[in-house]
Amino acid sequence: MKWFKFAVLNTLRNRRRSATTLLIAALGTAAILLAAGFAEYTYQGLAESAARDAGHLVVARSDYFQHEEDTPLQYGIDNYPALRSRLLADPDVRYLLPRIQFSGLVSNGDKSVIMMATGIDPDSEFLIKGPFLNMKEGSLLSSAKSDTPQILVGEALAKTLKVHPGSGLTLLASTTDGALNALDVQVRGTFSTGVPEYDKRALYTDLETAQRMLVTQKISQLGVYLSDMKLADDDRARIEATAGKGFTTQTWRDQAFFYKSVRELYNRIFGALGGIIAIIVLFVIANAMSMSIIERTREIGTLRALGTLPQQLTRIFAMEGAVLGGAGALVGAVLALIVSVILLYAGIQMPPPPGRSVGYPLSVSINPLIYALVVLGVVVLATLCATLVSRRSARKPIVEALNHV
Amino acid sequence: MSEHTPVISLQGMSKAYNMGEGRVQALSDASLALPPGEMLALTGPSGSGKSTLLNIAGLIDTPDTGRYLLDGEDVSQLDETCRTLLRRNAIGFIFQGFNLVPVMSVADNIDYPLFLAGINAGERKRRVAEMLEKVGLREQAQRRPDALSGGQRQRVAVARALVKWPRLVIADEPTANLDSHTADQVITLIRELCHAEGAACLVATHDDRLSTRCDRVLAMRDGYILPDAPFTHLAAPAVAA
Ligand SMILES: Nc1ncnc2c1ncn2[C@@H]1O[C@H](COP(=O)(O)OP(=O)(O)OP(=O)(O)O)[C@@H](O)[C@H]1O
Ligand SMILES: [Mg+2]
Repeated sequence: MKWFKFAVLNTLRNRRRSATTLLIAALGTAAILLAAGFAEYTYQGLAESAARDAGHLVVARSDYFQHEEDTPLQYGIDNYPALRSRLLADPDVRYLLPRIQFSGLVSNGDKSVIMMATGIDPDSEFLIKGPFLNMKEGSLLSSAKSDTPQILVGEALAKTLKVHPGSGLTLLASTTDGALNALDVQVRGTFSTGVPEYDKRALYTDLETAQRMLVTQKISQLGVYLSDMKLADDDRARIEATAGKGFTTQTWRDQAFFYKSVRELYNRIFGALGGIIAIIVLFVIANAMSMSIIERTREIGTLRALGTLPQQLTRIFAMEGAVLGGAGALVGAVLALIVSVILLYAGIQMPPPPGRSVGYPLSVSINPLIYALVVLGVVVLATLCATLVSRRSARKPIVEALNHV
Repeated sequence: MSEHTPVISLQGMSKAYNMGEGRVQALSDASLALPPGEMLALTGPSGSGKSTLLNIAGLIDTPDTGRYLLDGEDVSQLDETCRTLLRRNAIGFIFQGFNLVPVMSVADNIDYPLFLAGINAGERKRRVAEMLEKVGLREQAQRRPDALSGGQRQRVAVARALVKWPRLVIADEPTANLDSHTADQVITLIRELCHAEGAACLVATHDDRLSTRCDRVLAMRDGYILPDAPFTHLAAPAVAA
């Protein structure tokens, strides 16, 4: 304890220098924590939206994940009702979202454009996605029967085809046998997913219409919603087993390409940024320590003459580094916490990410584990660098140190 | 060890320094022995090798040649760690510039050698208090060194050197930064305490008035200890008038 007290007193010797060092360490720590918090918040948001789009788990025939289909629904799920009742028996399963993916042309009589259509179960699909699907015009699909099959079209697609709710369109697609099929439908609403490229081709219809279009009873894949997204990894194997032979179950993460690429990009950007900040902070601490050590050369000689071992001196300096770095890191953590809380209430919007049309709120996560790790990291690195810069001085010949002016 | 074993015995100590082109022989074949409780003054002009000899005797420097017996044990070949531990336990230093630790209080400065030696807190506290009493600084115990006068600071340094009951005290120009009256007091204090503790003391000084207070004086010149030094073997211990 006496060594530690000595180290603390030593850091108070040149208050201005220590304060500057501490401030820089604090700002650096806060910057790292805020960047990490921002990245973490972004990852969470993307993970949630990815899981919402695909399902916490996605069940499909194994071939579906492995091979490209030659004809529509070649690797589709045959007996959906049976699979459905098996899966719903699982205690963690909340909702099942059957989907049929098919492509073809959509025509307004004058022109035809390519569509990427999804057949869905309107009730559960919109229950989950509803609040997040940005409806532009009209209303959602419903399971209620109507004379003409209903569809939702992407905003950009509606513009291309010059349609509004109530307008009629014709869908053209190959059936599972490879024959061409056509179906008259009515636009019920238009929506935006926030991804303009996707809105140009996207089209939703109900499962029944899709099956009629493709002349089949199959579905493409099944999104499984659990009571909690966190269960996905643990439950995957069990759900796969429940689904039975020939089925494969993936987690949302396997499907989340956007999430994965953003995460990879941010990890690199923020990793490099954090590395640079850490180096600057360490450099400042090393500089302050070596100045302080040189000023104390005679004292080092004195302490050595009195019988202090070089490693004991190094330990004092290491503690000084730890005190400086630790105090700086703690102040920085408090700073980051304050900024995070302010951001939570400030409601600042970030511009849309590349390839998106809507922004998202600027907010940063407060993750105690990351705070602890960063503070600990700063302390450890500051200690190491103080040790390194003090090693030589602690071993300087005593007479030389004593005669230092 | 017997009553007559010298605390230190230096035999044939030599040390040379490289100075630019040439070599300076700082110490040439110097030998001396110090019995317990004796205070020996080394005098001589600047550059005569006093500090060099003191540094070697204090185990903070190494000679080129020569044998060093401390309490009868040959310490010439010890490694740095052993030398550090020997300094810690057996040697006290008093410097010309006081060399107190500025961030520590007077009491903590005196306590430091005991702390290093791993003595328990209660015992340390007792010995520090006793030492503060002896050097007359009880009132100043919690002050920082920079709040003290030069004479008071050197008394703290004396206390720090002697609190661990060393076998040997090394004092290189201990009074050079003090006025003559204060110098008198400090040298008397060193002498009394060394006598009381039975510690041998090596003092380097320019000051003839100071050297006459010591039990014995050796003069040095050009790295040699002069055999015919005028004050060698002073008969009676000279006590302050
Ligand atoms: N580190 C060193 N490098 C080179 N030469 C040195 C060194 N230390 C001492 N010397 C030389 O050794 C000789 C003896 O020096 P020393 O310091 O022992 O003398 P001194 O008697 O203590 O002198 P002073 O009374 O000025 O303190 C001098 O010529 C000095 O220049
Ligand atoms: Mg000298």
